Amino acid sequence: MPVYEPILLKNMEQPGYTGSLKDYEQAGGYQALRKVLKEYAPEAVIEAVKKSGLRGRGGAGFPTGVKWGFIPKDHPGPKYLCCNADESEPGTFKDRQLMERDPHQMLEGMLITCYAIGAETAYIYIRGEFRLGAKILWRAIDEAKAAGYVGDNVLGSGRTINVYVHQGAGAYICGEETALLESLEGKRGLPRFKPPFPATHGLYQKPTVVNNVETMANIPHIINRGWEWFASIGSPPKSTGTRVFCLSGHVKRPGNYEVPMGIPFRELIYEFGGGMRSEKPLKAFIPGGASAPFLTPEHLDVKMDFEALALAGSMLGSGGVTVMEEGTSMVWAALRLMEFFYHESCGKCTPCREGSSWLVQILQRIWHKRGQSGDIELMEELCRNIAGRTVCAFGEAEVGPVLSTIKHWRHEYESLIQESAVSGRGGRELPVLAL
Amino acid sequence: MATTDETQTDLVTVTIDGKSIKVPKGTLVIEAARQVGVMIPHFCYHPKLDPDANCRMCLVEIEKMPRLQTSCSTPVAEGMVVKSGSSEQVETARKSVLDFILANHPLDCPVCDQGGRCDLQDFSHEYTATVSRFSELKRVFQKEYFSPLIETQMNRCVQCLRCVRYCDQVMDVKALAPVGRGTLTEIKAFGAHELDCEFCGGCVQICPVGAITSRMSMYEFRPWMLKRTDSICGYCGDGCQLTYQTKNNDLIEVSSTYGSGRNNGDLCARGYFGYQVSEHPDRLKTPMIREGESFRTVTWEEALEHVGQSLLAIKQKHGPDAIAGLITGRCTNEDLYVFQKFMRGIIGTNQLDSSVRSGHLAGIKALQRVQGTPRWTVAFEDILEADVLMLVGTNVTETNPITGLKVKEAVKRRGARLITIEALEPAIGTISNISNLASYHFSVRADRIHEAVLGFMKSVMETHGVDQEIRGGAAGFGNDIFSRLSGMPWSKLEQMTGYETSRFAEAAAVFCQGKKVVVLVGQGVLRSPGGYGTTMNLLDLLLLTGKMPRPGCGVAPLAELNNDQGAFEMGAVGEALPGGVPIDHAETRQALTRAWERSIPATPGASFPEILGRMKAGTIKALLMVGENPLGSLPPSSGVEQAMQKLEFLVCQEAFRTETAGIAHVLLPVATAAEKDGTFINTEGHLQTVRKAVEPAGESRPDWEVFSALSVMMDDPMEYLDVRDIGKEIRNLLPGTRVLGPAPMPPKPDSQTVQAYMAGEYQRDVAVRYRLPEGPEPASDELVLVLTQSLFHSGKFSLKANGLIKVESAGRLYVNPQEAGRRGLGEGDRVALHNSQGSVEVTIGFRERIPSGMGVFPEHFDGEICRLFPYTVDPETKSLVWKSTVVRVEPVPVLPGSRK
Amino acid sequence: MSEKLQKEVKEILARYPVKRSALLPLLNLVQEQEGYVSESAMREIAGVLDLTPAQVFETVTFYTMFHLKPIGTYHLQVCRSLMCALVGSDDVVDWIKKVLDIGPGQTTPDKAFTLSVVECLGSCGTGPMMQVNDDYYEQLTEAKVKRILDDLRRDGTSSMKSGPFMHPQPVRP
Ligand SMILES: Cc1cc2nc3c(=O)[nH]c(=O)nc-3n(C[C@H](O)[C@H](O)[C@H](O)COP(=O)(O)O)c2cc1C
Ligand code: SF4
Ligand code: FES
Repeated sequence: MPVYEPILLKNMEQPGYTGSLKDYEQAGGYQALRKVLKEYAPEAVIEAVKKSGLRGRGGAGFPTGVKWGFIPKDHPGPKYLCCNADESEPGTFKDRQLMERDPHQMLEGMLITCYAIGAETAYIYIRGEFRLGAKILWRAIDEAKAAGYVGDNVLGSGRTINVYVHQGAGAYICGEETALLESLEGKRGLPRFKPPFPATHGLYQKPTVVNNVETMANIPHIINRGWEWFASIGSPPKSTGTRVFCLSGHVKRPGNYEVPMGIPFRELIYEFGGGMRSEKPLKAFIPGGASAPFLTPEHLDVKMDFEALALAGSMLGSGGVTVMEEGTSMVWAALRLMEFFYHESCGKCTPCREGSSWLVQILQRIWHKRGQSGDIELMEELCRNIAGRTVCAFGEAEVGPVLSTIKHWRHEYESLIQESAVSGRGGRELPVLAL
Repeated sequence: MATTDETQTDLVTVTIDGKSIKVPKGTLVIEAARQVGVMIPHFCYHPKLDPDANCRMCLVEIEKMPRLQTSCSTPVAEGMVVKSGSSEQVETARKSVLDFILANHPLDCPVCDQGGRCDLQDFSHEYTATVSRFSELKRVFQKEYFSPLIETQMNRCVQCLRCVRYCDQVMDVKALAPVGRGTLTEIKAFGAHELDCEFCGGCVQICPVGAITSRMSMYEFRPWMLKRTDSICGYCGDGCQLTYQTKNNDLIEVSSTYGSGRNNGDLCARGYFGYQVSEHPDRLKTPMIREGESFRTVTWEEALEHVGQSLLAIKQKHGPDAIAGLITGRCTNEDLYVFQKFMRGIIGTNQLDSSVRSGHLAGIKALQRVQGTPRWTVAFEDILEADVLMLVGTNVTETNPITGLKVKEAVKRRGARLITIEALEPAIGTISNISNLASYHFSVRADRIHEAVLGFMKSVMETHGVDQEIRGGAAGFGNDIFSRLSGMPWSKLEQMTGYETSRFAEAAAVFCQGKKVVVLVGQGVLRSPGGYGTTMNLLDLLLLTGKMPRPGCGVAPLAELNNDQGAFEMGAVGEALPGGVPIDHAETRQALTRAWERSIPATPGASFPEILGRMKAGTIKALLMVGENPLGSLPPSSGVEQAMQKLEFLVCQEAFRTETAGIAHVLLPVATAAEKDGTFINTEGHLQTVRKAVEPAGESRPDWEVFSALSVMMDDPMEYLDVRDIGKEIRNLLPGTRVLGPAPMPPKPDSQTVQAYMAGEYQRDVAVRYRLPEGPEPASDELVLVLTQSLFHSGKFSLKANGLIKVESAGRLYVNPQEAGRRGLGEGDRVALHNSQGSVEVTIGFRERIPSGMGVFPEHFDGEICRLFPYTVDPETKSLVWKSTVVRVEPVPVLPGSRK
Repeated sequence: MSEKLQKEVKEILARYPVKRSALLPLLNLVQEQEGYVSESAMREIAGVLDLTPAQVFETVTFYTMFHLKPIGTYHLQVCRSLMCALVGSDDVVDWIKKVLDIGPGQTTPDKAFTLSVVECLGSCGTGPMMQVNDDYYEQLTEAKVKRILDDLRRDGTSSMKSGPFMHPQPVRP
């Protein structure tokens, strides 16, 4: 198995490392913050992050430094940083580990970001289920506050930076950045239409940056070791740095693996993940969380970076790689994911709201052998009418699994429909679709 | 806030479906399209609401943009090229949105009240969505009882959230909740409770489909069967335009239209749900003459003959001043004008009065005295454009809800700063509370508003002095008032108002920065002792700060009834002739004498308190009562009952048998607002056309017809063909009473009057107005008890409106829960109220928004409680002032075994 | 409200420039204390935050973690999303049913356990898994589930719970 130098997981992989402030400082923690406060103008931090090529790790992969650059410099009122710790994309579980095992790493990244964009307040929006993570983060903030990293006059710089943890309460959509802001404002988590973008009209309509946990965790390293170093990792220039990939499904050793971007899937799945859990060969894999279209064994040599995946018709997304073995029904897999999307659609946009419920019911019918001819074409059409017609990217996301499974495994749908004894809703009652 | 001139100069050119147009920057594509005649289908967009872009129906293709854009949320940009109808992609997208919506929409159009005026139906028709391919199970919500007036059918909901957004953004009520997530989201009230809100009907009207409908007219009609009549609401002074929808002379429902009327399509509960008065079974339908203890139904001829002869006989025997008349400000201008002409020209007396006396007149007189015109010098548009708004004793949401909406819009959407001096605590309740929106709120007990205004003025003067410009011209005026205010100790003002000097100073600073400042004055001032003086002081404030002659600035007293303003301007008060000019104004007298071909009595007029006095003294023997009900609405302390009993002859022109009508000698049935033509003048001074929607009940007639017919009976005919004929006569006399278009053109203050006022006229009563009261504070266990108007009742008819009675049908003594807690009282407890006037038992209700030390009772249910109110007569306006009193509160012991 | 609670509420309010932001934290607090969000709690929170009860209600019902009615002492939430389903989450539901005789949406008669199936809990590499109140239990097997349920019944907690999370543990040469 090839060995890559871990960056984000480095500390936590040391025996006995607890993630406490003491441990973090001993491992060199908060040097980047000190350095930045002493030696960097805010613009210089933004410049360094831009040059590092760091792109968001939350899903969309937007260049982080560029995003920060959109924050109006001379805006008189408050500005905010929101760290997106909502991690709810099925197949993704890296942020949880980064938060629970090394909270100061992301915290330091957040503090540097606040300095760079001129924010005095930062919120960590963490999904409600992560109770332990929230506790650990609060503890870390308290420690950092006691040590002078957080609060008034950070390290004597005259800067005020307060950080608070804000717990969600069960809604995947709150990971979408504008829904996150709405939720943080105490409202229903419905995405806002853009423009205006959060950079100018974010939290409380003030300039706001939203960044993922892993994105934040990268910042101290870029400062400590220089953007040139960071930009040389992975597959530059568009996909720099490492990523913590979350491997799940039918592999021997699922889990989080930090590797430079650009290694082929084959390596992650067969070297790190130890290959398939049984003799059954790989049938399909999802390369970047539930929103990413399915890929086939032919795609095993695709490089795990932003461009290569886009070319392969999928996306790197949140970094969740799910592997499925031969024998897994693709109709069933699509249905399971569609049920997730149906459950999680916020309901704002007509196509997403109605489309998800419609698709789920067709898939259920087909799976329960009550499909009818034309169902596949109808689903394809519904998908075309959802994607690109909605406020947020959920619309594109939800059609990915359906369209990609139809594309690669159309025959599975067809044979289920052919097997259908009764078609339409004349058969068994549909399972209740309750929230 | 973008001012109009800014946007006007910033025009951009866009092309939509090949048609180019220049529109102000920031205009939404959907609006620009409408202007070139391209109608873009939509559900969630509404010009009154912030765009939400949720329905995705309005997608258009915009050149150089990657995917279809929602035209409802995209502002135009220079050179933008938009394709709507001309794009196939757009066509497919819209079809698919309809397809999606119809997936879960029941096909119950035949039993849906929206059928025939449903956006979904219309668009489906336009986009010829073939039979839905949705063969799954439709979403079904459990049917739940929603409210007595509003019905929901959530299966029909398209989740555009227009209702919820309207309730929040426009009404500021926030009573509707989208509950749940995804397809299973439904619109509900809180928890398992029925809806409790302002019942403005806005959600019903704004719903593009039949998901929220009115229970008042369920299943009674199909829209195409209805005849529409645009008219003006007969309830309050706001003067909202509404459309009566009728079927075979039955009022089926009321609606209003975005973009039209002073209300711009908004209504309140009274306007929307209060229309079922015409058909009320208790309507008087025929004339009646008293016979002993009962009435005998007679023909109009007999009744008129009888009244005419009786009045003539009394006049001959005792002279014209043995007769007096009282009319309500609910009548049309034409009724009011003919009434006063009848009293003055036919009877020959100036002993006439109208309901404007009981409040609004205080404001009118102040305006007239200082600015030389009895009208506002501002309009609703100025409220919207104001940068500083001040509300003094308005309780605006309940008395003048639509004026309240203008204030809300100015504050919420246009960033105006609001200063409120109200007997209101900023608390959330089931109806909106204007003080929640204030930048500076002074919550004072109802009897301390005058002192709070003095404190505010003192602060303005002390921190900012007198305006430069007037300092030269009217130095004496400025200095005089400055020194009077300086003489008032802050300690005393702080103690009386409960606010610190610094708080006043902060608010004063905001006020002084205001460029466009409108001060609204409401019933809390106008109907209380010294209310005229408070209004005068507020006018002084605008003068002293140099705001007063500037356009967009002014003091705006709020009229209570729909045509109180008209009552004054038509001369339906003793002391004023048509045009509102003083009774001794020689030119006007001459003009009227010429036009009427009758002489005008020279005796000074009499106000209703004076008329009451003369009735008691026995000099007035006959009274013509038009739509007023003093027996039912004045406190016994006024001696109204004794006075009425002494009358030899009482004629009531009424729609219902009121308390007063019950003791009349003759009852003449008359038409209500929906049953007649004419004009009203709203609180802004805007004259608007009232149109008959249904035939008068039974044999009722419009009031003016009765006066005219009586004149014939009295051998002094004053005949008119119809209301237009009267209108012509009025317009010839009063050029200011023309219908001038959709918006009023407010008069400018008359500079001579203003100068004369400041030069010395002000001195007449300045000492009284700038003085702190000496009287004792109420003892700590006493409650200042105030009768106020409720949102659900206004004027004399709302108690007959089935819809409104369903929302509020009884009175309670409302206090705030802390106050009650202090007294050991719970909601629903019975208490006895005592004072020197007597004792009354009432039930306690809670309202967070009532300040401590105060209790509020809705005046429409004051039957018993009004015994506790002493009255005074305001020396300036000669009105009966009696809406507040002080009481002791004692719990009534609960009898064992009885339930609370 | 108890004094401690009041202090906590004050501390929460101090985190935000706009009161409404404190809504989710306050609801979380209420649910922690009372096990569910009652109508009176919603009213009280509305009062604290200057909201109408309807505004609190609409927010509460958007989020799946809030309960409007009391539920069992231990809320077993089994992830049923694809990644867990691939490694047997449907079995977990069956195992629980075997022990407790309840299906999804049901509560044991003694009100000790309520079972729910939920969507992804962010534990996909260590499935099948379930969350019990605040704690995660991962890589479940039938025996493990049985033991956890026994532990919970007996001790109110179980040592089988996981976290701070790291998977896989580093393999060292
Ligand atoms: C439906 C949806 C769900 C999302 N969920 C998450 C999430 O759980 N965590 C996350 O970091 N980003 C999530 N995102 C992406 C965010 O919108 C946003 O792009 C990200 O937080 C930006 O941070 P980054 O630039 O550091 O990646 C989601 C986006 C969508 C459309
Ligand atoms: S696309 Fe779906 S999830 Fe996104 S805002 Fe629209 S309805 Fe909500
Ligand atoms: S009208 Fe534009 S999205 Fe609804």
